[in-house]
Amino acid sequence: MVSHVTIIMIEDDEGHARLIEKNIRRAGVLNDIIGFPDGTKAVEFLFGPDGTGSVHAGRALLVLLDLNLPDMTGVDILKRIKENEHLRRSPVVVLTTTDDKVEIQRCYDLGANVYVTKPVNYENFANAIRQLGLFFSVIQVPETK
Amino acid sequence: MMVLRSPTPARMGLSQPAILVLGFALLITISACSIWLVNLARTDAASVSHTLEVENALAGIQIYVRRAESAQRGFLLTRNPQYLQLFDESTAALPKEIKDLQTLSADNPAQIASLSALLPKLQEKLGELEQTVALGREGRWDDAVAIVNTNLGEDLMRAVTLGIEAMKSEEDRLLASRAASAASSARWLLAMNVFGVIALISLATLSVHLSQRTTRALRQAHAALSVINEDLEKRVEERTADLQEANKEIQSFAYIVSHDLRSPLVNIMGFTSELEELRTDLFHRLEVLRLRTGDTDTSQDETLAKDFSEAFGFIKASIIKMDRLIKAILDLSRQGRADLQPAKVNTRELVESISATVAHQLMEREAKIEVGPLPVIETDRMALEQIFTNLIDNAVKYLRLDVPGRIEITASETAAYVTFAVSDNGRGIDARDKGRVFELFRRSGPQDRPGEGIGLAHVRTLVRRMGGSVVLESELGKGTTFKVTVPKKLVMRHEGNE
Repeated sequence: MVSHVTIIMIEDDEGHARLIEKNIRRAGVLNDIIGFPDGTKAVEFLFGPDGTGSVHAGRALLVLLDLNLPDMTGVDILKRIKENEHLRRSPVVVLTTTDDKVEIQRCYDLGANVYVTKPVNYENFANAIRQLGLFFSVIQVPETK
Repeated sequence: MMVLRSPTPARMGLSQPAILVLGFALLITISACSIWLVNLARTDAASVSHTLEVENALAGIQIYVRRAESAQRGFLLTRNPQYLQLFDESTAALPKEIKDLQTLSADNPAQIASLSALLPKLQEKLGELEQTVALGREGRWDDAVAIVNTNLGEDLMRAVTLGIEAMKSEEDRLLASRAASAASSARWLLAMNVFGVIALISLATLSVHLSQRTTRALRQAHAALSVINEDLEKRVEERTADLQEANKEIQSFAYIVSHDLRSPLVNIMGFTSELEELRTDLFHRLEVLRLRTGDTDTSQDETLAKDFSEAFGFIKASIIKMDRLIKAILDLSRQGRADLQPAKVNTRELVESISATVAHQLMEREAKIEVGPLPVIETDRMALEQIFTNLIDNAVKYLRLDVPGRIEITASETAAYVTFAVSDNGRGIDARDKGRVFELFRRSGPQDRPGEGIGLAHVRTLVRRMGGSVVLESELGKGTTFKVTVPKKLVMRHEGNE
């Protein structure tokens, strides 16, 4: 992944956010990671003050999305990203504790690029995030329009 | 609760039998009257014919006397003995006629009196005739004509005729009265029958009306009952829906709680692991510093490291346990919401294949499983398999070590349900724990066997999901029987699965 790609991490649990960041870094990913603890702040950032998303034109974004947010559901954010003409090509990685089949299907139907369930066992968790980091380091991320 | 009332219970109850009794009474009365009247008519007819016979006899006497008289006259006038034959015939026939008349009128005192007045005249007349004819036979014609000329015979004849006419008119009078009586009887019979027919028709009409009313009342009651039934069914449905709603809420509550508990657990686990790594770094740095100061005593560091390890050990063990518990709740709530797929299941084959999986444990414990004849039912194979697996595992797990184990699986059927019994001769369950063992994380007896206290909670959840029930009978130290009752034909309730 080229260095100018910015990782947007929408994760309400600060502990999780920290552990994710640590393990992504352990995989050698050095890109900027911007964290948001709730949906409202994340939406404000993603779609800009005018709400069109044009504020990120020309930037490459990768979104790490938790579904269980205090103020809104991650599914709504996913939907808005995939419906937005500037952001819809940005990869969205759903990283959440839910492993409900219906939920997974719904996310892919809405255009999620990857769906990862957070393992409870920390070793597995760390391992999964590190592998995700390795995955990030090889994928191409298009710039937003 | 509504109480159903018959609209007019007393009247409904009394009228129909009363009408029936009345109808029968009427029929009997009419029949009796008819028989009586018919008998009366017959008596009248007999009387009429009796009168006619009497009149016949009277006419006969009159004719024979007149014939005898005319034969006498003819003989005396013509002296031709041919007339004697007629005379003899006529006088010979008379006594029989007289006897008949006496017999016929024996019941009537008035006629007897008349007859007794008539008979001497008749005899006298006959005497006169015999005398003259006898004189004629002797050739004493003049003597005979002299007797005729006395007009005695003529007077006697008139008297006899008068007597007979009197008796005839008496009989005529009787005939008229008897005919009148017969006509009256017939009229009565007709009237009686007409009245009877009218009464019966009225009763029949009344009866039809009453039975229609009864039918109407019954129909109304039936309608009311079906309304109540519908209402009841609706209420049962509502309650069932409420229960299902409540159950769903509990399930989703369990799901959310367990789910949300997992998040912080990830943190606890994660940062504990991070701490462990930090500890490695920390002790490494401590060692470097210690060596730099020339301190060779490692005992203090070792004690510290041990304490660290102990603390981490407890934390990790607790986390793992908590994770298991949360997972159990999650699984349970998932099972409670899972969609069941009804299919034909040969339960005997199912149970035998489960028994095969515990064969090794059974050999170790010198135990045996006996599977009785089990039915084929329409149910969810997976759910039933889990139920039996849990029950059989439990039975094997809690067998006593001092006696050869024996586990028995049997079934009994009713129309719509089948009850499976899984019996063992294991350690048994204390009566106080009978309900508790079905609760999540609860176990009974000495905690010397591995387990979380999840199995029976799963069994109960699954059985309930299938619309059945599970109970246990047990005697401590003797054994336990679990009885699982499930519908033979699984009916899926339609409920959303979110």
